[in-house]
Amino acid sequence: MKKFSKIIAMLLCLSMVVAFAACSGTEDPTNASDDATVADDATVADDATVADGSDAVETEFDFSEAGQYTADNTAYFIGATGPLTGDTSSYGISVQQGAALAVEEINAAGGLNGVQFKFDMKDDKSTAADASTGYDALYEAGMQISIGSVTSGSCESFAARADEDGVFFITPSASAASVIAASDYAFRVCFGDPDQGILAAEELTANFTNIGAIYDNSDPYSTGIYEAFKTKMAELNVSYIEQSFDAENNRDFSTQVEALKDCDVIFLPIYYTEAGLIAKTCVSKGCDALLFGCDGLDGVADQIDETVTNTIKYITPFDVNSEEKMVADFVASYTTKYGSAPDQFAADGYDAIYVIYNAMLKAGINNVTVAPDVLGDAIVATVTAADFSYKGLTGDMTWDVSGACNKIPVIVTLGE
Amino acid sequence: MSTVLDGLSLGAIYALIALGYTMVYGIAKMLNFAHGDIIMVGAYAIFVTLAAGGHVGIALLVAVLMCVVFGIVIEKVAYRPLRGASPLAVLITAIGVSYLLQSVAQIIFGAKAQTVSIVSFGTVKIASAEISVSSLITLVVGAVIMAALTLFVKNTRTGRAMLAVSEDRGAAQLMGINVNRIIMITFAIGSALAAFASIFYLMQIPSTEPTLGSMPGIKAFTAAVIGGIGSIPGAMIGGVLLGVIEKICLSVPVLAPYTTAVEFAMLILILLVRPIGLLGKKRREKV
Amino acid sequence: MAKLKRIKISDYFCYLIVGAVMIGSFIVAQTGNLPRSYSNLLVQVAYSIILAVSLNLVVGFLGELSLGHAGFMCVGAYMGSYLAMQLSAVVDNKLIVLIVSMLAGGLLAAFFGLLVGLPALRLKGDYLAIVTLAFGEIVRTIFKNMSVFGKAMGLSTQSIKYDTRQDTSLYLVSFATVLVVLFLVQNLVRSKHGRAITAIRDNEIAAKAMGINVTFYKLFVFVIAAFFAGMAGVIYGHYTTPVLYSFFSYNYSIEILVMVVLGGMASINGSIIAAALITFINFQLQSHLSGDLAALKYLIYALILIVLVIFNNAPKLAPIKDKVSPKAMFEKIRAHKRKPGDIRGDKSDWRVIPTKIRMDEVLSVDLQQGNDYTPDKPNKGGN
Repeated sequence: MKKFSKIIAMLLCLSMVVAFAACSGTEDPTNASDDATVADDATVADDATVADGSDAVETEFDFSEAGQYTADNTAYFIGATGPLTGDTSSYGISVQQGAALAVEEINAAGGLNGVQFKFDMKDDKSTAADASTGYDALYEAGMQISIGSVTSGSCESFAARADEDGVFFITPSASAASVIAASDYAFRVCFGDPDQGILAAEELTANFTNIGAIYDNSDPYSTGIYEAFKTKMAELNVSYIEQSFDAENNRDFSTQVEALKDCDVIFLPIYYTEAGLIAKTCVSKGCDALLFGCDGLDGVADQIDETVTNTIKYITPFDVNSEEKMVADFVASYTTKYGSAPDQFAADGYDAIYVIYNAMLKAGINNVTVAPDVLGDAIVATVTAADFSYKGLTGDMTWDVSGACNKIPVIVTLGE
Repeated sequence: MSTVLDGLSLGAIYALIALGYTMVYGIAKMLNFAHGDIIMVGAYAIFVTLAAGGHVGIALLVAVLMCVVFGIVIEKVAYRPLRGASPLAVLITAIGVSYLLQSVAQIIFGAKAQTVSIVSFGTVKIASAEISVSSLITLVVGAVIMAALTLFVKNTRTGRAMLAVSEDRGAAQLMGINVNRIIMITFAIGSALAAFASIFYLMQIPSTEPTLGSMPGIKAFTAAVIGGIGSIPGAMIGGVLLGVIEKICLSVPVLAPYTTAVEFAMLILILLVRPIGLLGKKRREKV
Repeated sequence: MAKLKRIKISDYFCYLIVGAVMIGSFIVAQTGNLPRSYSNLLVQVAYSIILAVSLNLVVGFLGELSLGHAGFMCVGAYMGSYLAMQLSAVVDNKLIVLIVSMLAGGLLAAFFGLLVGLPALRLKGDYLAIVTLAFGEIVRTIFKNMSVFGKAMGLSTQSIKYDTRQDTSLYLVSFATVLVVLFLVQNLVRSKHGRAITAIRDNEIAAKAMGINVTFYKLFVFVIAAFFAGMAGVIYGHYTTPVLYSFFSYNYSIEILVMVVLGGMASINGSIIAAALITFINFQLQSHLSGDLAALKYLIYALILIVLVIFNNAPKLAPIKDKVSPKAMFEKIRAHKRKPGDIRGDKSDWRVIPTKIRMDEVLSVDLQQGNDYTPDKPNKGGN
């Protein structure tokens, strides 16, 4: 027995040595500055094309070469991950439905020069690990371009992978600053969290004196906006009352509303599900403060009933009641297809697909099997070009190299 | 003061859920992770009935019926085959059932939260602080159910059979008690309590979604353990205590982000002082 | 010279299978045909195995239900990755950084394991289960609110994350770690300490009477299990970015518990297979059920879970199971070779762990076959 365990121990050591030797073996190429060692390896053969492609950003792109996994594509493959099950699934499902509607429309109109689009969203339950697994599955299924992930945490993980492969993505709703910072190929349709916090702080201090705020301390989106709001308020030297909750564990907001009962305005940098509950709590607590939120509040109209008398305002790029034809058409076709009115997540998902479509159109993509990294470089160059803009459901948008979207926020008011 | 009242009304709901939880726990000796999801079933039953124009009373009736049917079916299909097997195996099927109910709810009703318009009874003033009438009703109903359950368990034949099964299943069997039937009745009662819990839950938190049950489920588990597993008054006290602590933590901004940690730390402290919960029964260990 | 015991393949099965997967995938990777999704899946499988095996120490061998294993992983993931990020600024070699941070993350998690072990001395059964669950939730709530770790935004581990496109070595390191963990765990369980631990599980009072230091061994098991879980957490931190507190909820602890229960109590081979299988099932369900079908994912997973557990554990199905299980088929083949002198089910064999015989049950129930209340038979063995 003793002897045998010694043998096993030795075998084990041996295998570890093999493993570590292997590790350092494969590690070297990453540190090596020349690509010569890499080129030997079949898996990384198209690294060479990355290097070539990035050198040639300013010049012409060659779309004729097929990527490793895209050679069999018969339609342009747009991938995404998002929460389709679990606590945050309603947001993921909205994006998925909006994006699927856009793809359907584009395909019905003949696609890109006669080539159809394909859209697929994998479930990531809002977790980073599942987002990267989902990314791998999509990439190996031939994904060429993407709308990233729905929530910030998983989108950061998605971006880290996409950056390795040079896959362009434009996320509809992952608004944390870290998302677009994680990759040169990362862009977004929505506002950034810090921007909204600062905007809200300016807006509220200009119009109100008694300010309160409730944020979700368990949510990256909410915390992101709130931290910026807090800093800005300190800068402006305005005091306010702070309350927080943890969406996983607290569903009853009586304490928070009680504490902010006498405020003129309550800042709610949270999602609509909880905001609806807070609005109803305001009714039972007799609090008539104005509720002011960010784009996450869009969709709150479905969550409240006629008993709620508080005015609700939120910064949003999308107004479901807008009379603009494009929005009205979208709302009509979305409602017929899915049986409920779209929220801002759906509109962002819809816009993200159209941005990709327009950019591909403008870049002159002519090969359905185009490699994702070549396409990525071409689209980044197109989207950041000064003459590229897109007018969508959520406003006129332009992009800079950082990946942030420039558009004008609208403040929507409910029940005045 | 108002914080404590808010805590009381939240605690009343936790207590009501914990009552059903502790019943099943004490008698069937299993951690029923699907109990929270039975509340979700009840909530959707109420939502559908109200949306169809039904009265709250009818909604409650429908919810009780649905929950009881679900409780019995789940017990029969998922738990009964495992009677006599390791309790951990039952724990895993309970988790499976919980996933199953959540995904079925998502497939039928969608993932989005649905707002439930339930009658509101307004508020009353108690010593300068307001408390909603529905919370008071919740507290009263909780107390009534607690008393009724205690009487039922102590004074009826079935109740005493339940006690016997909880004490020693094998001996109960030998005494001619149909253990399967008793456990089925326990599940039926536990699920009916879950239906009551869901209507009061909706009065306070008027929105239902497929994952509604997971948070109350875990809170009820905590409350039941604080009170002493299997103890009916203990569940009531544990629930109310948990609600009040939660609200007090939330009302202090510095402490608010740590609310969950404080609640669970309190649980650990209580268990360290009294390893069997506040009102738990001590069992002598046999060799 | 002590006589070498007859080598049974099943005793070293775990090394063989893990080693085979590792070397096999390494060879495939060298030919360039290993899809990245699989090398990443292998990392997931590796840390799942470490988690399941270490939890099995607590649940299967010590006999205490723990619902907070993800909490230890959380400690390792946050603290270990943080340390690795600091280290990587100074040390250039990625491998050294990973190993050092893995040890450090493990040690920190082990400290938390000691903290959880303390109440375990006083509490039993489900009361201990809720304390471990509470511990896991407390830990992640605290990490969630620390600004060093990015608050709710999570700890971005971009700088230490392995670039999975060019460098597939993370799964090799992970599997090497699995081998080390298996080696340590196997030897622990088979040593006199392991027997002491199972003795505590089977009858604490009797174990105490035999002079076993129950306090020491209970704490020891919690510390060791936490250490391994912390290491798994560090691997997780190197595998994905950001490390986000929401991942380590009690739901994940339960998922690890599912692996242990499906694999079989106190069966290390079982834990390995179940961990790999569940990770693989989840991976496949996620890859194939996308878009509108995603809601079916949990439905299918739940059904698989319920059916598997009932099939494995239902007393009434035991006769059927005995006929169709691979083990039974093995036995049939082996029966031919067995010499008449061989004793079956040798109780002195360290692999056979007797289950607890509860005297009160034996005395109070008539052991009628097929009766719901006939207790577990004592010869059920290790799984």
